Amino acid sequence: MFVLLGVALIVFFISHVLSPNPAILWAGPKAHPETVKAVAQEYHLNDPILVQLYYFLLALLTFNFGPDPQTGRPIASEILFYAPNTLELVLASMLVIIVLGIGLGYISGMRFGTKVDSAIRVFYLTTWSTPYYLGAIVAVLVFASYIPLFPSSGNGTVGFSYTPITGIFVLDSALQANWPALQSGVDHLILPATTLALLSFGIVPRIMRSSILDTRWSTHVKAARARGLGEGEVRRRHVLRNALIDTTTVIATTFGWLFSGTIIVEQIFAWPGIGQFSYSAIISANYPVLVACVFVFTVGVIVANFLADVIYPLLDPRITLGEGG
Amino acid sequence: MRSSKRRAVGRTVVVAIIVIVLIVAAGAAYFAASNLPNSRTPTAGATPVKTSLVLEEEDQPDTLDPAVTYVTPGWEVVDQVYQGLVTYNGSSTTSFVGVLAKAWTVSSDRMNYTFLLRQGVTFSNGDSFNAYVMWYSVYRTIAMAQAPYWILNQNLAAGNGVTLNVTAAMLNSINYSSPSPSNLTLMLNPHQSVQVLNSSAIRFNLGYGTNGMAPYSDFLATLETPMAMAVDPAFVSSHGGVTDGLPNGAMTTTAMGTGFYELQSWIPGQSVSLVKNVNYWGAKLSKSELNGAISPAILNNIIIYFKPAAASIADLRSGTAQMIFVPVTYYNVTNRLPGVTTRVLSPAYGSAEAVTYVYMDPLAFEPFNNTIVREAIAYGINYRVITANVFAGHAVQWVGPVPPGFQYYNESTTGLSPYQYNATKAAELLAQAGYVSHLPSGATLNAGGTPFPRVNFLYDSDSPTDTQAAQIIATNLGAIGITVSLSALPYKTYSSVIFSSSTNTTSYPMGIGFYSEDYTATSDYVYYFTSDNYIGTSNYADANVIAWTRTASTSFDSATSISSYRNITRAMYYNYTDIWLYVAEMMTVNQNGITGMTPNPAGSAAAYFLYFNTVNYTS
Repeated sequence: MFVLLGVALIVFFISHVLSPNPAILWAGPKAHPETVKAVAQEYHLNDPILVQLYYFLLALLTFNFGPDPQTGRPIASEILFYAPNTLELVLASMLVIIVLGIGLGYISGMRFGTKVDSAIRVFYLTTWSTPYYLGAIVAVLVFASYIPLFPSSGNGTVGFSYTPITGIFVLDSALQANWPALQSGVDHLILPATTLALLSFGIVPRIMRSSILDTRWSTHVKAARARGLGEGEVRRRHVLRNALIDTTTVIATTFGWLFSGTIIVEQIFAWPGIGQFSYSAIISANYPVLVACVFVFTVGVIVANFLADVIYPLLDPRITLGEGG
Repeated sequence: MRSSKRRAVGRTVVVAIIVIVLIVAAGAAYFAASNLPNSRTPTAGATPVKTSLVLEEEDQPDTLDPAVTYVTPGWEVVDQVYQGLVTYNGSSTTSFVGVLAKAWTVSSDRMNYTFLLRQGVTFSNGDSFNAYVMWYSVYRTIAMAQAPYWILNQNLAAGNGVTLNVTAAMLNSINYSSPSPSNLTLMLNPHQSVQVLNSSAIRFNLGYGTNGMAPYSDFLATLETPMAMAVDPAFVSSHGGVTDGLPNGAMTTTAMGTGFYELQSWIPGQSVSLVKNVNYWGAKLSKSELNGAISPAILNNIIIYFKPAAASIADLRSGTAQMIFVPVTYYNVTNRLPGVTTRVLSPAYGSAEAVTYVYMDPLAFEPFNNTIVREAIAYGINYRVITANVFAGHAVQWVGPVPPGFQYYNESTTGLSPYQYNATKAAELLAQAGYVSHLPSGATLNAGGTPFPRVNFLYDSDSPTDTQAAQIIATNLGAIGITVSLSALPYKTYSSVIFSSSTNTTSYPMGIGFYSEDYTATSDYVYYFTSDNYIGTSNYADANVIAWTRTASTSFDSATSISSYRNITRAMYYNYTDIWLYVAEMMTVNQNGITGMTPNPAGSAAAYFLYFNTVNYTS
């Protein structure tokens, strides 16, 4: 809650520093003076700053961000349109990150010092240090142009008769047994999700590798072997499980990074998500939308970290919810 | 004997290999089972389906409501779905053809425009179009009073100031298929801007708008804009109706017009999809009645994706996109793509996109009150370097305020050449004005003079070309003794500054200004530069120039217009009111075999043509 409040305050004050006259920004440069006046009144832009802050916080608490000054539609409904698309992309990316990140980190840690270890480290460091814009363009060129395997635009909804249930196209298609739409959705999801995952995942194998190295020669693992446990069981129950504790923290952090990555990736792939929406709001100085997007991103990161806290006790029974460390 | 550790590692490797093989096999099976044409949008490498076209561009529509949209991509979509009374004739920007109007007459004093409407016109849902609907559509724009409504408000208004004022409540209450006697009394009233004559004829009476009781030479151009396009009252009513002073949220993402395309979907942030209107009224016309603006669509489907330029170029290369709109700075990239045609358009197209100049507001910065200082700045900028380095030669220098390629540009600039770079002369003029200046050789002139005060120089940080140009200008001016502090603002904030009324407290008395057409008319540009009193127009207000502007915009005599524009151009040129910089060229980029685009500077489709209905494949 305090994190949310802090973020809200920061966003509020920054947005008011950026522009000398927000009313003209929102109404448009050639807007009728009456329209500018109406906008100023609507958003209390002429009121004292503390009064503006009050209305601002009230709006956040009630999830009422008001109408989008550009479209006239409720911002909340626009968020509800864009957010599921980004969730679809981010969840798919997380799946790739978890499988690939944990897998490669595990192999790299267990094959410490070998060529396999070196190759894996080169791989994840290269993808991780590649800028999102460059990586996404390269992915389009290679996998949609030179080797045409995947579509490079959209999330598959164009031309399909589609009734949104959750707003996540792939999921909704499956729920409605619309197999052509599902196929199209998966087709369109593979390249942007994999691109986003590969450009964001480097920290996961890195930490996983480091955790494996810390754990595999630890005393309790030696003791487990000494007790006669099979190597597979030692690795699974004593090495991997303990290594996952730190890695889980990083995966939760990566979830937040993925949102920042979506701003670029959604542009390149014309993916109708909240990253795109935020970028448009930044460009057009659409402060009400910007505030809403920042709020949603913050909530997303907080939820991810909360889930990480929930998973910890499952990995390490010594940790219980509500206790420190 | 192998140790247990080696056995464990070996098992791990085997398991990993099996998993990888399974994943690859599953992927291969998936793609083998895919039925590409049914399950994908036009894909990389697939042969383009010849009944559809994919266009990619960076900017997105703001809204699909014709009374509200104020950006090029919005007009691009609206132009395919909605129609107005008239439109430009082919590539001309001065002659018009009828769309929903079959014919029209203009009164001798040019204050009244009477349109005879086509019969049998319907919206794509089957609702009829008539004069009552046109009356509603225009007043709807005025009542909503959103950002672009001023285009119509120059000559038209909701009321006559005495006995009549059309409100949203009135608009929402009328039955436009069979109006009641009281409704008819209202619509037939001759003392209003839009007057119904009968169900097939409508008259526009100028004089109620901000231009006052005067004709307007570019009135038809204002009727070509989305603001004056026909909107279905029943459709609007079922989507929230009209509200005074407010947009209609539902109309933002839906569309119902009389045009040759219908909106299939708008996925904000992704795409707009248009499908051929199978109920299009124009399909019933004979060939002799058709013109390029009302012919039925050839292609069944137009999909517009919104992506950055680099991604669009990649898609064009792969064949996923057949047409893209990217800035001319990508000319050297697209010109080398195999199977792609890149063509640079005439300056009129660049002018319609934006004309660029340096403004100097004397109200906010005292030295700019001195004409010699402004003249020094005009000589102090290296225009050739800007054109060459920023646009790789694809920009033209110009003399304003009439934009290059527009009507009367050549006549108004006869005998004048664009400002030339001469650092020596710039330094001498600066010294003459009383300031310390520096020659290219490094020598100082007027060493005992006043150092020129530092001045903030504003530019749009979202524009890579403006950013580079600003840096070049700062270097050039710094060399002669004028130190500018580059101040970048994002577009929305930047435009809120330059389109604000001038005050003596502005923080940005100097900078790069721009103007884009709202409708394709010389008067639109000239009025902006001479009469708007913005920071971004150097707070220019000369009584003679304003009088000439009004004469030109109200005259239908070429000689009078030419004389007025020539006087305006010379007055501003020798006053160094604004430093005319450049007009970036525009280019067309499409795969070979695409044809049917009729270029027009008023065009929003791929930014250079108006309508997709005539676009098709040659083979």
